[in-house]
Amino acid sequence: MITRKPHIIGKPFPLVEAQSKLTGVSCYAGDEPFGPDLLHARILFSKRAHARVRLRGVEQARRLEGVAAVLTGREVNARLGARIEDRTLLAVDEVTYAGQPLAVVAAESPEIAMAALATIQVDYDDLPAVFDVEAALAADAPLVHPDMTAYPGFDQVQAQPERNIAHRVLLQRGDVDAALADAAFVLERTYTAAPLQHAPMETHGGVAQQRERELMLWLHVQAPFLQRQVIARALHIPPQDLRIITQCVGGSFGSKVFVSVEALLAAIARETHGRPVRLHLTREEEFQAIFMTPAMRARVTMGLDDQGRIIAMRAVYDWNVGASVDAFILEMQRIALAGTGPYAIPNTDIQVNAIYTHLLPAAPMRSLSIAQMHWAIEQHVDELAEMAGMSPLLLRQRNLVKGGDQLFSNFIMHANGLESCVLETVRAIGWQPERDQDPSGPVVRGKGLAMGWSPIIVSPHCKSRVTIQCDGDELCSVIVDGVDVGQGYYAFITQLIAFELNLPIEWITVHPTDTGNHEPDWQAIYHNLLWSTGRALLQAVAEMKRQILSYVSEMWEEPMSNLDIVEGEVISYATRRRLSILTLLQEGAGEGEPPVFRATGVYEASEQDDRLENILQSYAATGYAAEVAVNLETGHLTVLQLAGAADVGHAINPEGVKAQLKGGIIQSISLTLLEEMQFENGVPISIDFMSYPIATTADMPQKLHPIVVEIPQSTGPYGARDLSNHVMVGASAAIGNAIYQATGVRIRDLPITAQRLYDALRADS
Amino acid sequence: MKHDISFSINGERVRLTVHSHQTLLEVIRSELELTGAKYGCSTGECGACSVLLDGEVVNSCMVLAPEVDGAEILTVEGLSGDEELHPLQKSFIDHHGVQCGYCAPGMLISAKALLSRTSRPHEEEIREALVGNLCRCGAYADIIKSIQVASRARR
Repeated sequence: MITRKPHIIGKPFPLVEAQSKLTGVSCYAGDEPFGPDLLHARILFSKRAHARVRLRGVEQARRLEGVAAVLTGREVNARLGARIEDRTLLAVDEVTYAGQPLAVVAAESPEIAMAALATIQVDYDDLPAVFDVEAALAADAPLVHPDMTAYPGFDQVQAQPERNIAHRVLLQRGDVDAALADAAFVLERTYTAAPLQHAPMETHGGVAQQRERELMLWLHVQAPFLQRQVIARALHIPPQDLRIITQCVGGSFGSKVFVSVEALLAAIARETHGRPVRLHLTREEEFQAIFMTPAMRARVTMGLDDQGRIIAMRAVYDWNVGASVDAFILEMQRIALAGTGPYAIPNTDIQVNAIYTHLLPAAPMRSLSIAQMHWAIEQHVDELAEMAGMSPLLLRQRNLVKGGDQLFSNFIMHANGLESCVLETVRAIGWQPERDQDPSGPVVRGKGLAMGWSPIIVSPHCKSRVTIQCDGDELCSVIVDGVDVGQGYYAFITQLIAFELNLPIEWITVHPTDTGNHEPDWQAIYHNLLWSTGRALLQAVAEMKRQILSYVSEMWEEPMSNLDIVEGEVISYATRRRLSILTLLQEGAGEGEPPVFRATGVYEASEQDDRLENILQSYAATGYAAEVAVNLETGHLTVLQLAGAADVGHAINPEGVKAQLKGGIIQSISLTLLEEMQFENGVPISIDFMSYPIATTADMPQKLHPIVVEIPQSTGPYGARDLSNHVMVGASAAIGNAIYQATGVRIRDLPITAQRLYDALRADS
Repeated sequence: MKHDISFSINGERVRLTVHSHQTLLEVIRSELELTGAKYGCSTGECGACSVLLDGEVVNSCMVLAPEVDGAEILTVEGLSGDEELHPLQKSFIDHHGVQCGYCAPGMLISAKALLSRTSRPHEEEIREALVGNLCRCGAYADIIKSIQVASRARR
C-alpha cells in the first residue's frame, strides 16, 4: 500500500527506528544475544591520580577457574589516540589519572571476572599531582606528560610540555591594546564552568569476537570509522581486519565518539580463542573512568566606544583537559572560531589553551564548550551594556555579525538568522531591559537574554558516502556511514529518498553503519552529518533515478526525457504508459531476472590542511531568553520559562527540530543549575545520579518555547543546516542574565547551585 | 542460597531457580532474555529498568528475584498486543517521545501505571509520575505530550 505523503520535506516525520526502540528490541549495550559461549569482561581502573604502580597477583588471577584471559600493560604496551597518542591502552608502571585502565579480564561470568580483578593487588607509590589550571601552570608544577614530544602525533599540537600546556589555538586581528586604550568603556572579568559528565543513560559497552582473521566489534558508538582507525593502530592490526558494526546508541553527547574502553574490549577478545566477550560498564565505572568535559576559565576584556560599538576584545579560554587533549583538539578550533561571540569586532585577540592535569581525559559534549564560552561572553555583554547605560538588546543588535562581514578568522559570513533568533525569543517571553515589577516578598523575578553562534566544521580528508540499492528483496535499502544517536539522522535519510525518488516511505530501510561496507582507510564525517550525508545522498538519488529511468526507457524504447517517477511508478508523459516500480523490482519486466539498481554518492571534504579557514563551513545561530524566580532568603531558583531559537536554514523535519531544541533547553537547565563533576585528590566522587544529579521532570520550566528560524544555507540540502550539535549555545547565559535582573547579583561560575546563589545573595546583602 | 520461584510475566507463567542475590532485572534480562528493561544505574535512581510488579511501578534493579514469587510482572514487551501497538507507544512515535530511546521502555511503564490510576492526568500529574525516570536527551516535554495525547485518545 502506498501512503507516501505529498510533501515529505518540511513536514513532521517520526524517527524511523522509534517503533523498535519502544517495544524493547535488543539493540543496546548489554542486549546482544550471544548464547552460552559469551564471556564477560571487567576492567581494573586506577584509584589514584598520579602514582607509580605495581600489579601483584596477575598470575593467580589468570589461574582462577573460569578466567579466560587477563591482560595488563606488560602484555599490551600500547598508546592510544586519534590525533596525539597521549593516553595508554593499559598503564605501564605509572598512572596519570584515576580511572586509567590497569588490567582487563575475560571470564565465564561477571562475578568470576570481578573475583579475578579482586585477586590483583595494586601497589601505588603516590607522586605529586595537579588538578586545576592554576596549579598546573605554576612554575614548579609536576609535569603530566614530560615525554610528550615522543608521542605519535606530537606534531598535531602546539604544546609546551614543560608548562603542562597541551595545545593552543590563537586568532588575532588588529591592535587590541591600542583599541582598548581608545575605548570609552573597558571591562575585564573572569568566568568559570565546572567539569561535567556526558552521562548517557546507556553506559559504555559492546561485544567483541575474533573470527579467524577478522576481529568483530558490535559497538554503540557515534564514530565507528574513527574508532576502527584508532583501535587498529593501538593493537597493531590492519584496519581491514577490524570490523565495527554499530548498534543502537543509548545516548552519546560526545562520549561515544572517541575510543575509551572499546579498545580494551577489542584487545581482550583477541585472547579468548574466538569466544565472544561482552563488556558493559556499571554506572559508577562510567562516572569514574569515561571522559569528563573540561572545566573552563575564561578571562574576557571588551572595549566599547561612545557609539556603543565593541571595538576590541581579548579573551583567554583555559580548559582543564585532564590527562589527555586528544579528543579536544578539533573542539579547540571550534572554540577559537566562536571566540568573539556573534559580534563583528575589529580588534581581537583570542587565545584557547588546553592545560594538562592529573584528572580524567576530557572529551567535548555536544556544543557544551561553545555554550560555556557564551556563558562568559554573553554575561560580559550584559555587564558592558550596564556599564555604558545601554540596553543589552540594543548593544547586541548594534554589534551583530551580518551576512557578508569578513570575520576575525577571514571567513566571510553567510546570510544568517542571528537577529531573528534573539528577537523571537525576546518576544516569546516578553523580555524588557528593566525588571517589570517590584519585589513584594522574598521571591523576585527577572528576565535575561543571550545569543550564540556555533561553528559547523568539516575536518579535512573526511568523506561521506551513501549507497542506495533497489531490489526485489529489500525494495530500497540504504548504506550510510554516519550513526543515528537519537537526533533523527535515519529519519532525514528516509525523508530525502522518499521525496527525491517519489517512493513510499515504507520501502526504505536504513542499515546501521558497518565499517565492513567501506574501504579500510575510510574516514567518515561524524559531525555535520546532515550536510555531508545530505550532499552524498542527493548525488546517490539522482544516479538511482537515472538508472531506473534509463532501464525503463530502453525497455519501452522511449527517450528518457519522457519519463518520470511518480508515486512509486515510472510513467511516460508522452505515451501515458505506467509501470509499478514494485512490480519491476519483484517480478521484472518481460524476459529475464528482475533488475537490481545500485547507486552511490560521495561527498569529500577538501584535502587541504586543517587551518581554521579550511575547515569552517558555516555558523549555526541561536538565541535564548529566560525568566527566573529567585527566593532571596534561600537562594532557591526556578526557571519559569525558557525560549530557545535556532536558525536551521530549512527545517526538513520541523517537529524533529523542535524536539532537539526542547531537549537542548532541558539539558541546558541541567548543566546550568545542577551539574558538577567533583573530585577528591583527583578521584571522582561524583559516581551516581545522587552525587551527580541531572534534570528530571521536576526541573522543567513551566513553559518551553522552541522557535525555528529558517534563513537558508545555500550549500546545505534544501537550504538546511545542522542543529543537534548546537542547541545549547546561549541558554546558561540567558539564565545568568535573568538572575542578575531579578537580584542584582552576578554569578560568574557554573553551575548556579542553590548554595552558590545563596552565598552570593548573602555576600551582596 | 537458591530459591525456586514462579511468577507471571507479560501474561506467561514461568518457573525458575534463582539465587538470593539476583535482582529481578538480572533475571528478566539474563534468564528470560527480555531486553526491554534496561540497566542504567543499579541503584534505583534512573528508572530505565522500570517494570510493573502487581500493577505498581518498581525499579527492577532494586527488587530481589526471590521476592517476586507468585507476582504478576509486566515489562514493555507485554505492553503491545501481537498485532497492535499500545496507544502509548503509538503516541510516543507520533509526538517524538523517543530520541536515543534508552529510557523509553521505563517511561512507557511509568505512563501505563499512571493511566491505570488516572485516566486523564494533568500535566503536573504526569511530571510527578515520571520524576523517577531520567532522560538525558531531555525529551521530557515530548514524552509528557505523548502521554497526554494517548490519554485523551483512550475513549
